[in-house]
Amino acid sequence: MYAWKCWRESRARFIFLLIMFTVTALLFTLQPGLGERNGWWYFDRSEYIRNPGPTAHVVFSMILSVLWCSGFLSAVFLGATASGSEIEPGTIEYLWTRPRTRASVTWTHWGLCVAEIVIVAVVPIYLAAALLGILTRRWDSSGPVISALLIAPWLMVIVGLPVLGLTTLMTALRRSASGGLIYTSGVVIAYAILRQIIIVPLHLNPPTLFAGPLVWLMNNNQFGATPIAFPWGALWRAVFLAAAFPLAAQYLLKRAEV
Amino acid sequence: MSDAAILTEGLSKSFGAQAAVSELNLRIQPGAVYGFLGRNGAGKTTTMRMLLGLVRPTKGRARVLGLDPTREAELMRILERVAFVPQRKQLYGWATPGELARMNKGYFPRWSDEAAARLAQRLEIPMNMAFKKLSIGNQSKVALLLALAQEAEVLILDEPTAGLDPVMVDEILRTLIEDHVSQGRTIFVSSHHMGEVEQICDWVGILEGGRLLLESRLEEIRQEFRLVIASGEGLSAASSTDVVSATTDGRFRRYVVAREAERFAAELRGQGATILEISPLGLRELFLHLVRKEDPCTPGNAGAKAAPVSSFS
Repeated sequence: MYAWKCWRESRARFIFLLIMFTVTALLFTLQPGLGERNGWWYFDRSEYIRNPGPTAHVVFSMILSVLWCSGFLSAVFLGATASGSEIEPGTIEYLWTRPRTRASVTWTHWGLCVAEIVIVAVVPIYLAAALLGILTRRWDSSGPVISALLIAPWLMVIVGLPVLGLTTLMTALRRSASGGLIYTSGVVIAYAILRQIIIVPLHLNPPTLFAGPLVWLMNNNQFGATPIAFPWGALWRAVFLAAAFPLAAQYLLKRAEV
Repeated sequence: MSDAAILTEGLSKSFGAQAAVSELNLRIQPGAVYGFLGRNGAGKTTTMRMLLGLVRPTKGRARVLGLDPTREAELMRILERVAFVPQRKQLYGWATPGELARMNKGYFPRWSDEAAARLAQRLEIPMNMAFKKLSIGNQSKVALLLALAQEAEVLILDEPTAGLDPVMVDEILRTLIEDHVSQGRTIFVSSHHMGEVEQICDWVGILEGGRLLLESRLEEIRQEFRLVIASGEGLSAASSTDVVSATTDGRFRRYVVAREAERFAAELRGQGATILEISPLGLRELFLHLVRKEDPCTPGNAGAKAAPVSSFS
């Protein structure tokens, strides 16, 4: 029943994010064929057939340049509905007097959010990949662009999971949805700014907080780019944080008094 | 020990330096309807929250249906068998009462759809309107419906009728009596309305400053408790162990005596006092005398801190 409640509370955000990212991905996919004549828009498929490789690469770069943040945004907006957000409005008294452990409540919400993040990441990009396949008449998934499109959403999810955990933790700490949302964004943005500040003067290269796999995907798929090694360290760090943050939230909520 | 529906022993809770509940000893038998009275901030809500695991005790222990609410596994078993109406009837604003009832059904194995439908009709609850759009009174009624349809063994109700009109209060009290009291379920209810407590409770506990001032059967209060008003010099001390409180009002001294008021009055006469009145006390008068007293007393030692008077035997 708690999963149903989580779904009811997050479904509007989920549907909004899904539509927004799907429309964006499809528009970017169609963009190379769009033209304007005498004030009218028209679509010409010839560019896709004439230069399938470069066109697909342009489409991929455009999609990734905007949709790379889908995991992050979904995680923050969906994660802010975690049970900690019920403390400030007072519905937590109702929730915590149902015979469900606080741990099960935390992980039920987490599981539902993971499912939603996966859908928000996978559906727009796989639809774009399918459309690109139709337009270029090439379905070779071993090709560099299509294969990159197929793995991109999963890397977005890997980036999103630690952010989801961080949002769950911040929501428990701040005891409200808005507090969780603001503090998570604050932590991520503050770290990114701090990282940029210290890279040059201190000659340090601190790791990107969670975004390593996505940075790899974007750098590895530029025209003429030399292939670089997959950042396994960043991946494991993301996996570790994805588990550690919700566990910390679970501990906090278990000890919380209302 | 475990035969009590609710039991607390030396239960205490402090928030920083502020003691919310101090050394609370309660023993509520199965089937009892226990009115928990006290002013705002007396510690009633904190006590109820400790029983439901929402707040951890600083000291002492609590048992609900023989189970310890500080242990998670036992707390889950308590929550399956206990229904709670909180003071702040805050539920999900987007959900309709119908959806809330369906959600509750999934949590509680003994949930009764028939009881929920009957209560919705009896309490005139619009079941298809979002909770946030309901009036305060209707929101309170929804919270009550969710608790009562749980068919729980123990009902813990924190000011359940706050915000309701007198007709609805009466309807709810009758529902409680017909559906729950008559079936021998235990009810632990806090309220500021003495009339309600007198209507449904058989036991009362009066809490002040986190301490239990008095615990007694309501029937005993009606039959035994008396207000003794006396005038005279040097009446600050009382030797009787039955004096619950003593207050000074100008030249007069007012004593609340738990039993044997005539014997106590004779004692006072022996000290040269003039007895002006010996009258029975209603619950409201008793409550006001206990919590307003200027000069609290322990039994037999007027002027010291009040101690609990228990009529359990």
